[in-house]
Amino acid sequence: METLLAVENLKTYFFTRDGVVKAVDGVSFSLERGQTLGVVGESGSGKSVTAMSIMRLIKGPQGRVVEGSIHFKGQDVLAMDDEAVRDLRGNRIAMIFQDPMTSLNPVFRVGDQIAESLRVHKGLSKAEAFERAVELLKLVGIPKAEARARDYPHQFSGGMRQRAMIAMALACDPDILIADEPTTALDVTIQAQILELMIELQERTGSAIIMITHDLGVVADMADNVLVMYAGKPVEFGTADEVFYSPLHPYTWGLLDSLPRHDVSEKGELVPIVGQPPSLIDVPPGCAFHPRCPYAREICRTQVPQFRAIEGDHGSACHFSTDPSFRRGTASRTEVTA
Amino acid sequence: MLKYIARRILQMVPVFFGVTILLFILRAPGVLPGDPIRMITGEKAISPALYQELVKENGLDKPLPVQYVTYLGKLVHGDLGRSYQKDRPVVEIFADKYPNTIRLALAAIVIEIIVGIAAGIISAVKQYSFLDVVVTLSTSVLVSVPVFWLGMMFQVLLGIKLKEWTGGAFYLPMSGMGSPPDLAHLVLPAVTLASVSTAYAARITRSQLLEVMGQDYIRTAVAKGLSDRAVIFKHALKNAMIPVVTFIGLDLGAMMSGAILTETIFNWPGVGLEIYFSIQQRDWPIVMGGVIIVVFAVMLINLIVDISYAFLDPRIRYGGPAK
Repeated sequence: METLLAVENLKTYFFTRDGVVKAVDGVSFSLERGQTLGVVGESGSGKSVTAMSIMRLIKGPQGRVVEGSIHFKGQDVLAMDDEAVRDLRGNRIAMIFQDPMTSLNPVFRVGDQIAESLRVHKGLSKAEAFERAVELLKLVGIPKAEARARDYPHQFSGGMRQRAMIAMALACDPDILIADEPTTALDVTIQAQILELMIELQERTGSAIIMITHDLGVVADMADNVLVMYAGKPVEFGTADEVFYSPLHPYTWGLLDSLPRHDVSEKGELVPIVGQPPSLIDVPPGCAFHPRCPYAREICRTQVPQFRAIEGDHGSACHFSTDPSFRRGTASRTEVTA
Repeated sequence: MLKYIARRILQMVPVFFGVTILLFILRAPGVLPGDPIRMITGEKAISPALYQELVKENGLDKPLPVQYVTYLGKLVHGDLGRSYQKDRPVVEIFADKYPNTIRLALAAIVIEIIVGIAAGIISAVKQYSFLDVVVTLSTSVLVSVPVFWLGMMFQVLLGIKLKEWTGGAFYLPMSGMGSPPDLAHLVLPAVTLASVSTAYAARITRSQLLEVMGQDYIRTAVAKGLSDRAVIFKHALKNAMIPVVTFIGLDLGAMMSGAILTETIFNWPGVGLEIYFSIQQRDWPIVMGGVIIVVFAVMLINLIVDISYAFLDPRIRYGGPAK
């Protein structure tokens, strides 16, 4: 297996008037060719900022990667000059964004917008690039692609726009596809179609995918590995099976408990995680999750837990995950403090 | 697209009738002070018989609707009547004056487009830089300065003082101006006329560009690996230009009606000045003819703006839902 992307202790902070927002605070992971990594967490957990950091899309001067490293095929992404970064973007690493309704430029034809990457990165002529754009639209399942390529985004439905975005992302055969909540803005039937399309295209092109989502169902369908994030920090990492069937971190348990299941016949109620995610300017001391954690003890309030591997690569950032009795369903609750 | 243009042209019809009927009502006896026959004869005392003859000759004895229809009938044949005071056909007067107004307006618009949009782009791209501060401050000052004061300052500083200092490199623009005025005479009035609008154009460009630069599709363009130049000048500018084009178009329309202040300060022989004098003198044929010509010019400009707007924004061109 070839390591495509290695992110090491990444910290991306935003220096705002109100204080320092630690949007990403020490994230590490690696991605291999053809693999799918699911990055899960609530809004504001730093998922998108992680992706934007990889693409070098963090806007200065407020936003900065303050620590850590990102290596793509051994090259230091953070040290790249503008030209090298541009060659990376859209060409080696492509991104699909959350809202297809606003992610396409309203004043250019869809086909031209797809063709644009091909002209920039592959040096194709206008006609060649457009022809290829039509093929890509066919590939993502747009009917009458020749005619549709000449349409403007407002003539496309939401699902079709996201298909067009995927076509755009796939145009240059990228090694990595970063999908930032690609289905969130779509209705459920379309969501399933888009995910299926991504899985099918991954099989065909062999690109690695980073799937950013707050939807555990999406992760279960697609991911090989799962990274769970909370308040800018990784709280659990493991294979999809490990994270779903033997989760280590109470936050992951909470996420799983709040997921509706169709395989459990008993009338189980959904258990939400109490409280709100913390402000990233004023992160609680100790474990950031402790005010919402039903198992929090004294040490959680004072000491920041380190991320530790428990079994293979499967690990978590919880003080108690080394304790084999501290597992989902068996751990004893304490009073929730917030 | 053709349907869109046809609809816009059809919308001109009620405007035309509205304007002409309104003008006729204003002209009706007793609405505004001033007797047209007195305008024609001046201070000379005339006999009641001659007075009646002049009334008849000018068709003022007929009921207003009849006069209106007669007027429209002549209008169709390009006859806007004769000036009461100058004893020349109105069409001829405006054929003389209109090119001057157009010349001044176009010069001002060119300045507005080049300086205004460029300043706005620089200001937005280099947000919070020294240049941005310069643009933001100077445009704030410009929009608050009265045009007549600015024009007079130009005359004093560039026309008189600079001549004294440089020994005659510049000259007072209004002196010795023939008709049509030459290019050298055009510079100061055009800069004066363009000043406020240029400042507005720069501010609109800046704010629009900054807003567009924050849109998701700009992030998409950056993530595609495009250069800053392509992102700004291709993806952002075409979107940001839509309101700017509207503003500049409306401004050009306004200038087509003559820039009365600028024309007065620089004694520029344009339609604004002509209509202004005619109103003071109650020279109704010139007022009516002038306003009708101006209305046509403004409607034409607006049509062109609407068409270019559709060219910029496909959502309008195809009549799709504006999201």
